[in-house]
Amino acid sequence: MAMRCPAVAELSAHVDGELGAAEARAIDVHLAACPVCRGREESLRAASQLVSDLPTLSCRESVATRVLDRLEVESRGPGLALLFRSFSAARPLFLPSLIPAALVLLAVLATVLLLNEDAGPLPPASVRVLGEVWDPRVPDHGTESNPLFPSAEVSLPRTREGGSVPERVLAEMNEGTFFLETVVARDGSVSMVTLLGGDSERARPVVDALRRERFEPVRLHGRPVAVSVYRLISRLDVWAPLT
Amino acid sequence: MTTGEMSFGSLEALRGAVSEGPLVERCRQGDAQAFARLVALHEGMVFNLAARLTGDPEEARDIAQEVFLQVYRTLGRFEGRSSLKTWIYRIVVNRCHNRQRWWRRRRRSCSHPLEELTVREEARLAAGQAGASPYEQVRQGETARLVQAALLSLSFPHRAILLLRQVEGLSCEAIAAALSLPEGTVKSRLARAREALRRSLLERVGEDGWP
Repeated sequence: MAMRCPAVAELSAHVDGELGAAEARAIDVHLAACPVCRGREESLRAASQLVSDLPTLSCRESVATRVLDRLEVESRGPGLALLFRSFSAARPLFLPSLIPAALVLLAVLATVLLLNEDAGPLPPASVRVLGEVWDPRVPDHGTESNPLFPSAEVSLPRTREGGSVPERVLAEMNEGTFFLETVVARDGSVSMVTLLGGDSERARPVVDALRRERFEPVRLHGRPVAVSVYRLISRLDVWAPLT
Repeated sequence: MTTGEMSFGSLEALRGAVSEGPLVERCRQGDAQAFARLVALHEGMVFNLAARLTGDPEEARDIAQEVFLQVYRTLGRFEGRSSLKTWIYRIVVNRCHNRQRWWRRRRRSCSHPLEELTVREEARLAAGQAGASPYEQVRQGETARLVQAALLSLSFPHRAILLLRQVEGLSCEAIAAALSLPEGTVKSRLARAREALRRSLLERVGEDGWP
């Protein structure tokens, strides 16, 4: 054997062909004679070659696109960058936030639809009064269609001379209790009497008498106004107990 | 630098032959098109090196992005004494090393999940090779997986030097320039890396299974 067994560093340099000619020749001579070093040199060479033979890994998406997107965001600020990005370029930023947003939107829509089904159809919107289409316009305050109620400013209407309910009517009134609304028109006449509570047959004479009542016109700030008056008229006959 | 007017649909066309000096100069002046071309020229090398260094293609994708962002931000400091590619090698190796230390500090096991990912990747690559029989594809995929696992068992400096030498084909002098190491240190580390790889492979396949 011409020389001592070479160190790993020398064998490695020999694999790379980086030794000087004389040094390389000396190692070649040694390897020819030393099967241990020859085997070691061959396995070093084979191991190195295995690394060289590794397939090249490639990224499935363009690194350039990702880098330029990032620089774009940094240079413009995220808000403006989102506006100017193309759809495909925007995917890495948009998609992760869009998925939960879309799920929330779907859940809200489904809930709204379910609630809507439970509610059922709404009734027709038009309202008819006495066969006429209701006029949604509110009449002026203080008119017969929209009378005022007695208050600090609107006095209770006073009956005119001979305009009150005759005593006879009250004397002949059937037993019972009647709750009545009288609308006193701007000229003091009665424009409407409504029986709000009580037997309508029994109340008829009283209602007729009330329609014939006459009042002094009521004024508000010098203007005659219609006033609504509510009255409770009651008759209770008390009999002596039977013995 | 504004990049809004750029079209990214023709990146393949950007990989054509270009002269490095004027390209770097245009990048320094804020030419977005020139920087897109620079990235397109080197992204394959950067991704492959990062993936082999980390064993994790997903990690490599993030590292590749960080590498080019660093290139963009520090291009003004690139003096041109080495080639741009040599400078990028240095950034890739440093980034991968930082990532590995970051994961280690968080006690993450580097080998197992990374190896699993690599298995899938190697199998996909082997299946994509035209002309190889299914048996050959499986054998190639298995060999690549073994070699990658053996690489990951090496220390990071050894792995980096071995990959730069065997995959990128750099000379020891170029590796020394890229990593700012004395050439003698590179040679001794390369020898130790080869010996460690040989031992690791022998442990995995045994004397009988040695290719």
